[in-house]
Amino acid sequence: MSHVSLRRAWTAMALTGVLALGLAACGGDDSEGGEGDSSAPIRIGSSLPLTGEFSQPGQAAKQGYEVWQKMVNDAGGLLGRDVELVIKDDASNQNTVVSDFNALIGQDKVDLLLGTFSSLLNLPASAVAEKNQMLYVEPAGGSPDMFNRGFKYLFFTQQATADKQGKVFAEWVAALPEDQRPKTAAYPTLDDPFAAPNVAGIQEVLEAAGIETVYQETYAIDTKNFDTIVNAMKNADPDVVVHGAQFEDGIGLTRSMLKAGFAPDMFYETNAPSFGAQYSDGVGAENTEGVLYAVSHSPEADTPGNAEFVAKYQEMFGTDEVPEDAADGFAAAQVMQAAVEAVGSIDDQGALADWLRENEVDTILGSLSWDETGAPTGEFLIGQWQNGKPEVVLPADVSTADIEIGWKPGASG
Amino acid sequence: MTELLQNLLLGLLLGGVYALAASGLTLIFGVMRVINIAHGAYLILASFITYWLWDSFGIDPLLAIVITTPIVFALGWVTYKVVVSPIRTAPMASTVLLTFGLALVVEGAMGEIWGNNSTAIRPSYADESFIMGGLFLPKAQVYGGLIAVVVLVLLWGVLTKTWLGRAIRAAATNPSSAELVGIKVSAVAALVFALGIAAAGAGGAITGVLYPFVPGSHYQWIARLLAIVVLGGLGSLNGAVLGAIMFGLAETLTSAYVSPSWATAVPYAIVFLVLLIRPQGLLGTRLREDAVAA
Repeated sequence: MSHVSLRRAWTAMALTGVLALGLAACGGDDSEGGEGDSSAPIRIGSSLPLTGEFSQPGQAAKQGYEVWQKMVNDAGGLLGRDVELVIKDDASNQNTVVSDFNALIGQDKVDLLLGTFSSLLNLPASAVAEKNQMLYVEPAGGSPDMFNRGFKYLFFTQQATADKQGKVFAEWVAALPEDQRPKTAAYPTLDDPFAAPNVAGIQEVLEAAGIETVYQETYAIDTKNFDTIVNAMKNADPDVVVHGAQFEDGIGLTRSMLKAGFAPDMFYETNAPSFGAQYSDGVGAENTEGVLYAVSHSPEADTPGNAEFVAKYQEMFGTDEVPEDAADGFAAAQVMQAAVEAVGSIDDQGALADWLRENEVDTILGSLSWDETGAPTGEFLIGQWQNGKPEVVLPADVSTADIEIGWKPGASG
Repeated sequence: MTELLQNLLLGLLLGGVYALAASGLTLIFGVMRVINIAHGAYLILASFITYWLWDSFGIDPLLAIVITTPIVFALGWVTYKVVVSPIRTAPMASTVLLTFGLALVVEGAMGEIWGNNSTAIRPSYADESFIMGGLFLPKAQVYGGLIAVVVLVLLWGVLTKTWLGRAIRAAATNPSSAELVGIKVSAVAALVFALGIAAAGAGGAITGVLYPFVPGSHYQWIARLLAIVVLGGLGSLNGAVLGAIMFGLAETLTSAYVSPSWATAVPYAIVFLVLLIRPQGLLGTRLREDAVAA
């Protein structure tokens, strides 16, 4: 190294040191609020997939969090303090989400955390929260793998874990009269900690009911072309297809089925059909008739605060359609709010977790409760596209329409 | 036998589209020694422009190629002049970093303009197929494959049958000598960069019809396209076409006869094996400096 560059290096190091000291001094007075300042806003941090593969749910969850923030602040805040959201974009990347949550805790010094979207991202993100002993309430992330790690601060705020999400559908199929019950089934599945157990849970029930598996394959997340998979399924000729999907792959596989002229008697798909207009635009509204899926929220549901949430969402975002994932985000924040208000403080996050383990919380998704692992103990709704719009068809006591047997592409729109 | 034929046809159609998308990447490397990591981002940008033309004006997305491609060509030319030109002769690592940054900027711009939700282009024939015997040939794939062939033949014609093509090949082979015979290498480089981006643009118009996309989809494309041009031989147009067809067939046949879960991995394993035997790729040329480095 030359003398000149050596001198520059020392100068740079000195400047860096001065900057670091300055920043430390700035941070020392805790002027942005935090534990010591009872009038400053409560800062709630999250990192969401606002771009990349999971941007649909990520964007919707952000909207859900924002609706909750607006409603809470309008009602006087949380513990009398305004709520401020600090939301980063993890770009659907597992490494980025870890960096983001570390930064939220270590640099941004947020007071509370809200989870991200997809099991894939919540798996590493929740580990960061657990290590820092911070409550981690997640709106998605229902993989059973989330809950076998002995975590104390993790809570999933939908009705059931992924392996049980299709249970209501599977039990309905198994209970169909002999002449209406499918004889054979195909299970194409994304290699994903949410989709795979979801499909496995349904397959277990259907096989127990004597429905033969004629196709079962897992594909990688970067699969773009589904023609070969569909060609193989078509040759196997199943009566029912149960597809473990996120979003883009759900659209891709359905379009390949249409191109191949393959329409099984019954078509159940995870996730993608719950995306409303985005889904019907993707596969064509005329091809949605009869598609079945699990869903956590219905805008028409008579649950506490649901009408207010739907109205506020429509007011803030200027659309009649309320994405399920926005509702899930809102419900996660409701759960966190309930714990904070019940405990009366945010200082002891262990106490917040203990309270959630011992209590039920009323949310727009219904009443939620959790076992020791933070896994919810309820049941999902089953949705179905009918006449170009989504309906809740199971369980019967909360349904908005009767369930119809059969996928009829080209029939509605 | 019908199933094998079906899978071979699907693989060839897939390979044709890959070939068009990869041709620009190998062209840019061949002349400029620039590995353009932003290539996939321009491909997705073309998909979004095609979507806009289809959604706003009702223009058929595949016919819209005649509008999309010149727009993307112009963007490529401006990108070269503003961003790439200053570091054209810098070490390859610099251009990789620069074009990676460029990809992020283009991704961010697309997110701002069109949002980060999934977008699908669905003309009336998007989900229809030609049925021949027991075989189905998706119409969009067939049209896309035919357009890819036409564009690639035109590109090949320009490179081999025109003065411009000779200038490009001269600039690629020996820039100093090319300057001596009156070829303005910097102007040729700008033109080649824009042509390469335009080829990605034509590919993006087709892939936009075939698959839904988000601004971040470019990561998946650049990984595939780099593997294809490395397999074919960096800088070789014929190699890119051969590599693309092999890649498409490998993906399809693996999915059909091994498992879909291996479909995206096996093609890369083939690239690895080919490079062990032929480090310069299938149709690449081994240069003297490569031999020295080896």
